[in-house]
Amino acid sequence: MKHDQVPAELLERYAAGDPGINPDELWAVEAHLEGCASCRERLGAAVQRQSPATTALLARVGDRLAAEIAISTTMPRRRRGQVLGRSRWLLPPGLLARLAMTVLLVLAALSLDLVDQQGRGEYPSLVLLFAPVAPLLGVAAVWSRRLDPAYEFVMASPRAGLYLVLRRTLLALMVVIPALAAAGWAVGASPARWLLPCLAFTAGALALGEVVGLSRAAIGLAAAWVIGVVGPSMLTATSPVLLAPGALPAWAALTAVVAIVLALRRDTYTGLRSGH
Amino acid sequence: MGAASEEWLVRRVADGDTVAFEELYRRTSPWLAVRLRRRCADDELVAEVLQETYLTVWRAAAAFAGTAIGGSAVGWLWTIAARRLVDAYRRRTREANLPPTVFGPEIVPAAEDEALRDTVGDEMGAALRRLAPELRQVLQAMVLDGLTVRETAVLLGLPEGTVKTRARRARIALREALS
Repeated sequence: MKHDQVPAELLERYAAGDPGINPDELWAVEAHLEGCASCRERLGAAVQRQSPATTALLARVGDRLAAEIAISTTMPRRRRGQVLGRSRWLLPPGLLARLAMTVLLVLAALSLDLVDQQGRGEYPSLVLLFAPVAPLLGVAAVWSRRLDPAYEFVMASPRAGLYLVLRRTLLALMVVIPALAAAGWAVGASPARWLLPCLAFTAGALALGEVVGLSRAAIGLAAAWVIGVVGPSMLTATSPVLLAPGALPAWAALTAVVAIVLALRRDTYTGLRSGH
Repeated sequence: MGAASEEWLVRRVADGDTVAFEELYRRTSPWLAVRLRRRCADDELVAEVLQETYLTVWRAAAAFAGTAIGGSAVGWLWTIAARRLVDAYRRRTREANLPPTVFGPEIVPAAEDEALRDTVGDEMGAALRRLAPELRQVLQAMVLDGLTVRETAVLLGLPEGTVKTRARRARIALREALS
């Protein structure tokens, strides 16, 4: 039946809801109809002949839809056009709030740094210390079943997977990095010192997220950094070795390795079953 | 709008074109309604699922239209409808606390089908016909309708373990029939 049409008699029985069609024929009809517009058109005519119940149901639903759509076209959401419609897919709910929170945290770090510089200036810059993990708060919300009511739906869209994850991550970085750059400029923490670690952590969270779920990966990495590096640096009031200029080649290598892992395992995001 | 593809119609719908939406509904809704009615005996539920499906299409057409990959708009419609059907069953089961009644009385392969088997020479078809109805249901939901084990379990009102067992048994039965 692949290249032919469904036989008329079979189509009529299918439209009528005849339960006696052999399963193999039934399957073939259904599989064929999904790919053949002309047979679907013929089925429409067969339904009108064979099944008054279906015809009535279709008319009823059609009326209800017309009413619903008349309301939603007048909504400003649609008038603002496609750009917004598309950005809905770039922006999972919760991401903007988290990005705003991140910017606030950067500002808080900045003000503490400024206070410290006014005083004795003995502590390493908090902006610099937090910069590597700053995007993680947003990244955690990039691909989340819990935060996104449309998650299942996004999953079903052909754009789902790493592509969408990366687009959303890019968006998060476009907010966080300028904020960090501005704050860093104010306290003399050059982007050269934190940009690579920042990218390494972001890519690391995405790669690790393929294994344990994105939220868990982001939280884990951020916690490890705070406990392992930020805490000791503040306690000993020394700038961490990991953010010294000498560590940059290592960060670059790490970013490259993580990016390769991420690319190799990209299919995981398409079928990500993570409940987080 | 005669020869336009469904994919093109969805792209027009994404721009808020109600005429394209009506045309898409006219073309695809009989197919979707018949397919859903063959999976759910309750017409009210079918109407509900149909309505939700097309509303989703209306609201989210941009998501489909925005794709660079393309893909089949009709397949996309079915994916949405199947998920909505499972959701509706889930709701109903929760409310009524009863396993839903799905699928009409299953037919048993008739004797002439058995006899026909050799002449038809379609081994796969014959194997499907001989498959026990409860195994076929599971296979249909998972293979033809593209549902997951969990969704199949909801739709058929079975525990997930039973769905897995039946899927395995169906696979073994088909393999034996084909070898």
